[in-house]
Amino acid sequence: MTAVSYYLSNTKNEVIKLKRTFAFWLTIISALIFPLLFFIVYLVKHESMIPEDGANPWGKFMFKQIQITIPFLVPMFIVLITSLIIQVEHKSHGIKHLFSLPIPKWSVYFGKLSIVIFSIIATYVYFFLAILFFGALLGMFYSDLGFLDFQPDYLKSIKMLTMSLIASLGVVGIQFWMSFRFKNFIVPLGIGMTMVIMGLVASRAPEAIYFPYSYNVLSISLGENAPLTMGVSSITLYSLICFVVTCVLGYLDIKRLNVK
Amino acid sequence: MNQLIVDTKKLNFSYTKTRKDIENLELKVPKGSIYGFLGPNGSGKSTTIRLLLGLLKKQSGNVALFGELFNSKTRLKSLDKVGALIENPSLYEHLNAVENLKIAANYRQNIPSGRIEEVLEIVKLSHAKKKKVKAYSLGMKQRLGLAISLLSNPELIILDEPTNGLDPKGIIEMRTLIKELNEKYGTTIFISSHLLSEIERTCTHVGIIRDGKMLFQDTVKELKSSKGQKMMIDIEVDKFIDAMTVLEKLQKENTSLVDEFLQIEVENKDEITVVIDALRAQNVKVYQVSIKNNLEELFLSLTEN
Repeated sequence: MTAVSYYLSNTKNEVIKLKRTFAFWLTIISALIFPLLFFIVYLVKHESMIPEDGANPWGKFMFKQIQITIPFLVPMFIVLITSLIIQVEHKSHGIKHLFSLPIPKWSVYFGKLSIVIFSIIATYVYFFLAILFFGALLGMFYSDLGFLDFQPDYLKSIKMLTMSLIASLGVVGIQFWMSFRFKNFIVPLGIGMTMVIMGLVASRAPEAIYFPYSYNVLSISLGENAPLTMGVSSITLYSLICFVVTCVLGYLDIKRLNVK
Repeated sequence: MNQLIVDTKKLNFSYTKTRKDIENLELKVPKGSIYGFLGPNGSGKSTTIRLLLGLLKKQSGNVALFGELFNSKTRLKSLDKVGALIENPSLYEHLNAVENLKIAANYRQNIPSGRIEEVLEIVKLSHAKKKKVKAYSLGMKQRLGLAISLLSNPELIILDEPTNGLDPKGIIEMRTLIKELNEKYGTTIFISSHLLSEIERTCTHVGIIRDGKMLFQDTVKELKSSKGQKMMIDIEVDKFIDAMTVLEKLQKENTSLVDEFLQIEVENKDEITVVIDALRAQNVKVYQVSIKNNLEELFLSLTEN
């Protein structure tokens, strides 16, 4: 059996395990909440929402949602979804079983990590699609809102979401390791939430650039003005470094762990 | 037949620095045997099983499975031939039995799709295969756990307290199943239990462990004969004093009174009638005579200091 087939069979199994779990629904619910909320507000107050002549309504509708969700809700979501997905395994005493199967331990660790990342990416995609959908729906209900007369700035919003996704990876690496390590999901959840709040508070300090939990805030507040390292945004680079380092360390730690 | 499927040498392990949980354990499980691993709660049975499977890192010593040292290089190859059920079975409760088996089958290679139905049939869960495991009884979960360990037709099945939480019917079914697997397919089976009667009825070999140390390891036959031919019997009578005099005349020593029963040692079964006749001759009423389980005594004497 090759490394690829080990990885694929693990990832496939992780998908089956997500069936009918709260973690699965959470990806959809989280993606829908804000677009739906904005939709309702626009419906109710639609008269005050009519843009000036010739103004593109998508800018306000789309970027406001992205700017509100990314700094706080995205990191919170990541802490929650990571804990929940691994909790499925802990709850079923699964780790000891997986580690006594003829499969390499790395395939267990990285198969699960992949599914966490896929779920997060899926949520970003749902979120993006939900914004477009509800915007278009508003345009159909009230043509004076102008949603059907203008094109949304796809590129800018996709860029913002991608930056946020990469800025999240550092946190994913840390949270995944913690969630795998501690059976009790209060531990990664509690630490994670505290860190997210700290990240929000600390984001104004220049040192926040070294604190992964601040990266989502920074990806919005600094935006294009983020400091560069070797030509790329430092946030992007540091987040990726944090992700790779915690993944490797996490795996090495899990590998030599005594499974009780 | 003499090949050892599990062979450990001077195995040591401790969770904490102050206490050794497994001490110089030499476990020898011959091929084709049903090996009963017996010990009171907390004696190190589960720890040993985890060491065999590489879930815990041994501090010193060797583990060999199928005649090959178990290490990171041979891990996958060895585990491929093992099916294990460790304590509570690892089941995804929000999924049904078929989905659980599918996951287990995906992890292993070359498991034909019909095998899932087969193992469900073996553990008699076909009727509940679409039911969520959440709704299963403890015994059904235990059986599904067993089905998962059977999936790959392993050469060695390791069962940690497989009858825990089963009702008497479930225990008998489990026992039959274990024997059948062993006889039909020559599967070597390693069962841990704290119940002697369980081991005595099912197993061919036995290892008794206490405080992480192996106290006895041999065939069950050997264990039974090690106590010698003598047997202990309990007699319930109405007049103890009279009975004692009778027994004294018969030159029965080591007579004792335990829980309103007279306890004596006899050479063989024929002697029991001699004792009863003698008692009845003196008009002592005999309400019941029972042969004490030698093994139970032995187990208790071995495991209680």
